[in-house]
Amino acid sequence: MGGDLVVAQSSNPPSLDAMTSSSGASRNITMNVYETLYGFNEKIEPMPILAETVEISDDGLKYRFPLRKGVLFHNGKEMTAKDVKASLERYRKVGATGSLLEPVESIDITGDYEVTLTMKRPTPTFLEAFCSPRAPAVIIPEEDGAAEVNKTSLVGTGPYKIVEFVPDSHVRLERFTDYSQDTRYDGRDGFGGKKTAYLDSATFRIIPEPGAAVAALQAGEIQILDQIPVPAARRLEDNPDIDLYENLQWAFNVFILNTNAPPTDNPKFREAVQVALNMEEIMGISTEGLFNLNPGWVYPGTTYDVGDLASAGYYNQADTARAQALLKEAGYNNEEFTILTDSNIPEHGRSAVVIAEQLKAAGINAVINQVDWPTALKLRMEDTGWNGWTLQMGIEPYLGPVAIMSTLTGKRPHFVKNDEQLDGLYQELITGQTSEERKATFAKMQTRLYETFSIIKVGDSGLMQASRSSVKNFKSFRFPRVYDIWLEN
Amino acid sequence: MGASAEGLDDGLSLRTEMRRARRRRLGQLALRLLNHRSFLIGFVILVFFALVAVFADLIAPYLPNKNNYRDVLTPPSAAFWFGTDAFGRDIASRVIHGTRVSLGIGFYVALLTGIFGTLLGTLACYVRWLDALVMRTLDGLMAFPGVLLAIALASALGPSAINSIIALTVAFMPRTARVVRAAVMVVQGTQYVEAAQAAGAGHGRIIFRYILANALSPVIVQLTYVFAVSVIAEAILSFLGVGPPPPAPSLGNIIADGRTYIQEAWWIAVFPGMAIALVVLGLNLIGDGLRDIIDPRQSSQH
Amino acid sequence: MTLFIVRRLLSAIPVLFVVSLMSFVIMWLVPGDITAVLGGADASPEEIERIREQVGLDRPIYERAIIWYSSLFHGDLGYSYLLDRPVVDAVLERLQVTLSLATLALVIATLVGVLLGVLAAVKHNTWLDQGSMIAALVGLSIPDFWFGIVLIILFGVTLGWLPTGGFVPITEDVLGWARSMTLPALTLAFTQMGVIARMTRSSMLDVLNQDFIRTARAKGMRAHTVVFKHALRNAVVPILTVVGVTTGVLLSGAVVIETVFSLPGVGRLIIGSIQRRDFPIIQGGLLVTASVFVFVNIIVDMLYGFFDPRVRDGR
Repeated sequence: MGGDLVVAQSSNPPSLDAMTSSSGASRNITMNVYETLYGFNEKIEPMPILAETVEISDDGLKYRFPLRKGVLFHNGKEMTAKDVKASLERYRKVGATGSLLEPVESIDITGDYEVTLTMKRPTPTFLEAFCSPRAPAVIIPEEDGAAEVNKTSLVGTGPYKIVEFVPDSHVRLERFTDYSQDTRYDGRDGFGGKKTAYLDSATFRIIPEPGAAVAALQAGEIQILDQIPVPAARRLEDNPDIDLYENLQWAFNVFILNTNAPPTDNPKFREAVQVALNMEEIMGISTEGLFNLNPGWVYPGTTYDVGDLASAGYYNQADTARAQALLKEAGYNNEEFTILTDSNIPEHGRSAVVIAEQLKAAGINAVINQVDWPTALKLRMEDTGWNGWTLQMGIEPYLGPVAIMSTLTGKRPHFVKNDEQLDGLYQELITGQTSEERKATFAKMQTRLYETFSIIKVGDSGLMQASRSSVKNFKSFRFPRVYDIWLEN
Repeated sequence: MGASAEGLDDGLSLRTEMRRARRRRLGQLALRLLNHRSFLIGFVILVFFALVAVFADLIAPYLPNKNNYRDVLTPPSAAFWFGTDAFGRDIASRVIHGTRVSLGIGFYVALLTGIFGTLLGTLACYVRWLDALVMRTLDGLMAFPGVLLAIALASALGPSAINSIIALTVAFMPRTARVVRAAVMVVQGTQYVEAAQAAGAGHGRIIFRYILANALSPVIVQLTYVFAVSVIAEAILSFLGVGPPPPAPSLGNIIADGRTYIQEAWWIAVFPGMAIALVVLGLNLIGDGLRDIIDPRQSSQH
Repeated sequence: MTLFIVRRLLSAIPVLFVVSLMSFVIMWLVPGDITAVLGGADASPEEIERIREQVGLDRPIYERAIIWYSSLFHGDLGYSYLLDRPVVDAVLERLQVTLSLATLALVIATLVGVLLGVLAAVKHNTWLDQGSMIAALVGLSIPDFWFGIVLIILFGVTLGWLPTGGFVPITEDVLGWARSMTLPALTLAFTQMGVIARMTRSSMLDVLNQDFIRTARAKGMRAHTVVFKHALRNAVVPILTVVGVTTGVLLSGAVVIETVFSLPGVGRLIIGSIQRRDFPIIQGGLLVTASVFVFVNIIVDMLYGFFDPRVRDGR
């Protein structure tokens, strides 16, 4: 075994300092390099990775994490409680989602290999949040604890180490020969498990042009393509040199309505938008045919799936006549309806185009404002100036109800003006003691979303990945795991 | 008294004479242009596309932005002459409407480049103390590779057809201003301008009547090329995602939409690509012809 | 000659000042900032404010302008927070790729262009003349990114002769470098060949019709001696002008070609930096690219002086 593998992805990682970036382009690479105390297994349940276990006190205020012993960093030093404390303190300061440590009062070293977190108040959902891979709370050496954003030594504990980063070109990883395997498990499992580095090295190449990336795969210059356009995949289906991987639970496509700016400040108007949309067409075109229709806010068959929702009569209606009646009721007078979207994530732009056409057909004066991703993120923080925003939520639905609802509640929800009833339900959700309680609350929240129409669930979007058939044991996951896979001719 | 009346009379007849002569010259010019083979070919191509652009609504078999989920990525057929794209939109209709957008952008860039280039070039010549300031600024702008400047500006201003026009105008205008300035300098030194000044003609009159009229030909030739380059540049801006935004078609963004599927659906990128190539070819041929006939000093034909 | 060079170099100073100002203004016009890129779609306002402070974006614009100019004065282009290195280093690393690409393309375009142009001029009014001029026009009319993708599919996938993209440094593997550069350089050269061919043809025709060539011919000198020894030498000045302009076109074209062939050059760096709002790199990258262009034009001017004494003495 051994050998070198090339993975291609379309975007440059903005940072390899894992905890500071929530970008998928970074995560794809860094999750092969760094590890966290706790992470999600394949079934999205918390599992210990660098921690031995966690002991939570009965009052829910103390989280004691004994650490695995003998875990080495890429710089050869052993991981101890000092490194963990320094990492978490840094995460609090510069972590892109540092606020998840907000309920934590203090981080204390309670042994050479033990760290204890003391909470300000009991937070039943803390451990799940702590597992979030969005901007993961990775463990780095103590020396890097005070490093500014992007200025760490890029040292982690994972099976691969970073040896070269040429921005816009590639990131080269090499096998970390002293990697301490987690022998408690049989094999890889989600973000953790027993990881075996078969490949000598793995290179992540940045290929911005999808057409060029497909060409490189066909020519055998790359072995794994992180995302392949679906029509190209369909064409290569019968190609014996190419294997395809369909992941149908990749992301939610949503359409967010600004509840603060006219005309979308009027619930009747928003209802008109909801019933006017033809979800099948939007999803079919924006995902190039790889989608499931789903009115709910969890993937079907997962823990929080409540089955039938209040969505009947609202979801996937494509009912122009009803929409027009609602518009009349709303007193709509042909005001401009601005759809904010971006050019960097193709599904965003394509959704916006289809939605705009459908809304125009219903008599809404829809205009598209397509900008680049950073501009879109800036504009959507404005309270006015936009009415709709097309977004693909990847990691939140993966993380579950709390992650999704946290973006829709609080001072500045995605749809701008908060909904008090929803905010109240959110508090109920995060303090719910059992998963049954939380499930019931979550059902109420979903029903509420079909009353306010402040965010429209369009559908579930899939991800198509491809590899050369020489790549063995690859499995589609939240990031391309380059361990536990090997090359065979 | 008699003398002045006579002079007036002379002036009148002279003016009509000049007008007649000019009309004759224009007629001759048109004749010579139409006898120029490459100009004629270019002219026919451009007129064809101009007609397509103007009558796009009448010619296009479908609405250019009409999605059709059932017919995505279908190859050219009787129903869809140039096939359909990933939205199931008719490529033929999009190319027809896209011609309007792309020709429009090229035309406005050429027009604005002409106006501002002429204004700045003349100003630099006429107002001495401004010369150095204007010229150094233009040199600075010209120091950026043209399209790169346009790309940077378009990204900064945000993607829209108007911003594309602004960005391309800023990028291409300095060269035109230089051409104008050079031409005006030459004309300024000639005796008839000095004569007109001596005769007490006003500045405005001198500028418009004598200087610009004579500097016009090299500018027109240059603007034809600016037009051509702008059509290509629009495609480049669209390729990088900073051109006219969707769903409105431009030849550039149709190609940009289709480039991902070039192996699965070649027709999306090929037909607008051919349209761009033809338009640009036509404009280049016209430019060559104009240069041969109205500005023979720079001619390439012999 | 020395005086001419010094004068020419001095004249570049105000130009570079305008360039630096323009680079700053473009940076300032770009909406949004780095925080959006790092924070992502659901960063809270507090998180965004924290990142802004860390990168100094909370400072007012005039303060940032002062910082830009005072460090520029010390030859310092600033520091890229995202790339964790000085802007100078980041840009120079990338310049290798872009200059490789532009130089190769320039060589190909000049060689082929001049050859086509000379051929067309010598065989004036034959099918060869018309054929090469039509080829030149077609080259001018095709968008280069489109042509590049077609080449990738043809040579990379169908024939499998050349890599579909990526860059190999010349210091690592010369053959690999040449292979990785062939398709991008050809694509980039394709449009400019036409421009150079057209210019070469017309200047050659001018020269060929002049008396001294006729005399040389009448004296019985062999045709290709006439063409290469006398005619081409005299046609070189206008050709040089086009080459100078072409450099600029190649530098801008590199942006697109680098994207199509996924090459890590300055063009991609600038575009990428605009997308990730890496302001120091946007400014520095634009300034360096423009400076390269100014510098090339100074060299072109000096070459004029070398080939044509009138230029250096006049004005």
